[in-house]
Amino acid sequence: MEDEENGLASRAQAGDRQAFAQLVRRFQDRVFGFILRMNNSRDEAMDLTQETFMKAYQALPTWRPDARFSTWLFQIARNATLDILRRRQLVEFVPLDAGQPEGEALDPPDDAPLPEEHLSGRQRIALLEQSLHELPVEQREILLLRELENMSYADIAVTLNIEAGTVKSRLARARTAVLAKFQHHAGENRHD
Amino acid sequence: MTEPPSKHSPDMQQLSAYLDGELDSSTRHNLADHLDTCPLCASQLARLQTLTADFGNLPQETLGFDLAGVIEGRLAAAPRPPEKKRPARWWGLLPVSIGAAASIAVGVGMGSALLGGAAAMPRVTAMSVFDTLPPGGLCLGPDSCYSNGARK
Ligand SMILES: [Zn+2]
Repeated sequence: MEDEENGLASRAQAGDRQAFAQLVRRFQDRVFGFILRMNNSRDEAMDLTQETFMKAYQALPTWRPDARFSTWLFQIARNATLDILRRRQLVEFVPLDAGQPEGEALDPPDDAPLPEEHLSGRQRIALLEQSLHELPVEQREILLLRELENMSYADIAVTLNIEAGTVKSRLARARTAVLAKFQHHAGENRHD
Repeated sequence: MTEPPSKHSPDMQQLSAYLDGELDSSTRHNLADHLDTCPLCASQLARLQTLTADFGNLPQETLGFDLAGVIEGRLAAAPRPPEKKRPARWWGLLPVSIGAAASIAVGVGMGSALLGGAAAMPRVTAMSVFDTLPPGGLCLGPDSCYSNGARK
């Protein structure tokens, strides 16, 4: 799979437009889904997806086969999305990699059933989407790359331009935060 | 009586990396042994596993049309400059103010042939309207935006 995508990218780099078209078809929905969950605007995500592939094509001469093409592509998508979010001033600047998660206790009281345990599958999906959107961008993006894109820590580090060790701590913090929000909303939901 | 694991806060960082298969083998084995005897950590791991399963159940978003065709059309209209070396920044040597450069940029709209070089156009434009790239605006240069992280 990786060899195949990098093979296509090499051909595209050599000027094979059909190879690039195949890469677009292969990754367009994944890139779109990532951007959409980052910025929560379908129209903007469509534009940004298109811009991502145009930028990728422009920057193809700088791509190196030792980098996985999809990792490189997500890096472009992520940077383009952050640009827009910054312009919208929606990027929260939170000291993410130090200290404890902001007072959000994850542990339930001993022996208490977790409030989310009664939820239906559909409710779980809705609460997860909601919780995800409430996270700071830095936590949201790392969760998306790991949980949806199934990226290795090494690839996440490249995509986010951070140290591999930071991936481990930031991801754990992001998971703790999303679980805390999920649990909180599930509790609200139950009291309805 | 077997000794219960001392009461402690589960190490979410280790559990999270364990879930992802990103621990070295000795740490992994130690944690696996600990999980066998510590219901607290085992239940946190179970929550992380459920979270991953929930992510797996999120609907797959789709763009809904063939983007490759659209990209093809745009590329046909504006082919990629094949050179890897940047063009010389001839405009940087000119004794002109930014305001003058901006007026040159306006002039560009009347025809880049006036400036005698296709490569000059996006650069001059970028100086004056960097923050408002048009929808067709592209990366300003292969070395400027996206290559650094990927190269490491
Ligand atoms: Zn434990």
